[in-house]
Amino acid sequence: MSSEQSISSANLTYIENSLNSLENNVNFVSNQVDVVNSEVVDIRNNLNHLIQEFQDYVKKDLLEKSLQLAETRIVKVRQELETNYGHYGEVRRRVTGILQAVDAGLVKKETIENSTEEHMLAAPRYWLAPCLISLSAWLNDNKELADKAMLEALRRDSEKTSLFFALVTRRGARYKASSEWLDKYFGLQNPESLEREIVILIDGFTNGIFGPSARMNCGRQIESWIAELSQKAGFVEEQNAQWKIALESKLEKLNDQSYPYLKEHSKTWPRLESSLEGAKIHGIIADYFTDILGREVTPAKNIAYAVDGLLDTLVSKFDDEELPLRNDERLLSLIIQENGDNGSAKNLFSNEKTLKERVSFTQLLTNFAMHPEVSNASIVTQKFSLAWSKEWIKHAHDDLTAENRASIPIDIDLEINEWTGQTQDGSNEKELVSSLESYMEHKKQHAISQVKLKTSHWAALVGGVLFAFNSFNTPFLLLFAAACGLYFYLGKQGLQKRKDQVTEDFKALSENSKQKLLASLAETVDWRKEYAREDENASLVTELLDSIKPEQYSFSSHDSARAVVN
Amino acid sequence: MRRPLINTNTNQKINVSMSSSKTSANTVELTSVALDKRLRQKRSKEYINGVAKLDAGGVNCSHNDIEELKQTIQNEFPDLSPAQYLIGIISKCYLGAPYVVHTLDLNLDIVKHYEKGESLPASMDRGQSLALHPRYAFIEVYNDSLRAVSENGDVAVIKG
Repeated sequence: MSSEQSISSANLTYIENSLNSLENNVNFVSNQVDVVNSEVVDIRNNLNHLIQEFQDYVKKDLLEKSLQLAETRIVKVRQELETNYGHYGEVRRRVTGILQAVDAGLVKKETIENSTEEHMLAAPRYWLAPCLISLSAWLNDNKELADKAMLEALRRDSEKTSLFFALVTRRGARYKASSEWLDKYFGLQNPESLEREIVILIDGFTNGIFGPSARMNCGRQIESWIAELSQKAGFVEEQNAQWKIALESKLEKLNDQSYPYLKEHSKTWPRLESSLEGAKIHGIIADYFTDILGREVTPAKNIAYAVDGLLDTLVSKFDDEELPLRNDERLLSLIIQENGDNGSAKNLFSNEKTLKERVSFTQLLTNFAMHPEVSNASIVTQKFSLAWSKEWIKHAHDDLTAENRASIPIDIDLEINEWTGQTQDGSNEKELVSSLESYMEHKKQHAISQVKLKTSHWAALVGGVLFAFNSFNTPFLLLFAAACGLYFYLGKQGLQKRKDQVTEDFKALSENSKQKLLASLAETVDWRKEYAREDENASLVTELLDSIKPEQYSFSSHDSARAVVN
Repeated sequence: MRRPLINTNTNQKINVSMSSSKTSANTVELTSVALDKRLRQKRSKEYINGVAKLDAGGVNCSHNDIEELKQTIQNEFPDLSPAQYLIGIISKCYLGAPYVVHTLDLNLDIVKHYEKGESLPASMDRGQSLALHPRYAFIEVYNDSLRAVSENGDVAVIKG
């Protein structure tokens, strides 16, 4: 039996329609999300820019504040030095005052005696005061007082006193006494930890102030110190390391605006910057050394003048009580030199070691050559220090050069508007330009494909057709149909305009990126050239050092006797 | 003081035979700072020429050439133990394109020529950009450091 069972086909149109409309809604929402997404990306970029600018500003502000603080503090420290130790200045000036007055024979002996006694009272614990009393007693032929005062002075500071008397006796042409004082002074020294005032001795030696026998003594003593220090294992390595640090202290920062495109568009920029700075050191050092070696030495008018100069330096620059304040002063002046950068100033300061109390002889030589103002070295001493240390300087310089050359980046990364590429020396321009262009083209196509008719337009089309159908019944609806049709048509036109707009934008972006790329490549070529130029200077330094001969740096002599046997 | 007339030949029986133990003295090993000092000494002309011959053998170096080179190295550092020798040498390759650098690996006895862009084995990699620099004849690679040798024999040390 065929019972005809007719299964009425379910009327699924309602479900279909609902699904369609659901799909449309989902598409609509998805488009909205896309729009929101791109806006969020935009906002994030802007925020990142803002954060970057803010951080730059804060950094700049900190540097400026630190600089200002350093400048006010240095004034304070100098004032403090003046108030606390200013009265020493009185005593110090008496030294040369007395000596010159006696030379000229213009002052009564009693006056000298009285004034020295006053200063003894005014400056307790100061080694110079009893020295002065001894000096004035000597001038008055009062041996007992002179001896007593001398012993007191030796008790207070034997090293400085010995040096002081060595100079004073030399000034008075008492060669034997001067020689003995020098011997006493040498006897007190340990070449591994010398006091800073030994620069006075070296200055006296190199400037020919000591008599011929004393000069030979000095020379021999210095050579024996160097020999003693060289016996230690690792001495040479230590010297090389020391000189490397000293040479690095001459590093100068690169000008901010020298390679703006590379700075902005290359991730390799930090390495490029530091390699170039390292290469520029060669030129700086070559100039510095040439300057020292080439400077004329004008010998002092006469022996008295020269010794007075040394005495002044001896009595004013080396007192230990002042050392903490002098340390502060040096650190602050370094901060000012580095424009407020505390970190690098502290680094320089700790590397300098110029104000440490006791240092080894070779460290002293380094200080004399590289930091003459702080270590109070005369120009002749600087020349001598360079000549004595030239072997170590050469090694340190060679090592520094090799390290710098090993760190040159071979590949330079470029990033422009999200395109990335690499170049070595800017010669692959064509390749990079075509890569950039195809990247931009690809992005453009992608953007254009995103430009679509919005759902509202499709809805309008559908609506228009529906209304058109129903308008057969209700002509009124024709109006709506027309409106919908018009809306759809306008939308379609707008579409083309938007696509054109996108094309325009990308054309401009592509052009702009290409310009930036070409500029970056040009800067790469410039950078390579500049680096090669600066690197050449390394050989200048080597030649300079090779040409130094220690014997060349003979010193002016105030004596008529020549040293016949070296 | 007056010269003595009697007993003038008391000093003749000095034992002159000092034991000849000098030959074994050279095998005392140099350590760290002394080693550094020794390795910083200028290199001799023969040594530099010997290494320059790496290129002469062309792309494939014969075993003889390598043995000769090792002998040159041994002659240069007679006072060092083999453990203290360099582990390799890198230098610019003058064979022309496409070769850029070549290396001698002492452990494996190989001379290898590298093309542009090819990366060197890990132990030698850090010496590559230095080897390409015109001022250096070649780079000696050690376990813990690099030593760049220039044409005139001067040595520059890079630690690590």
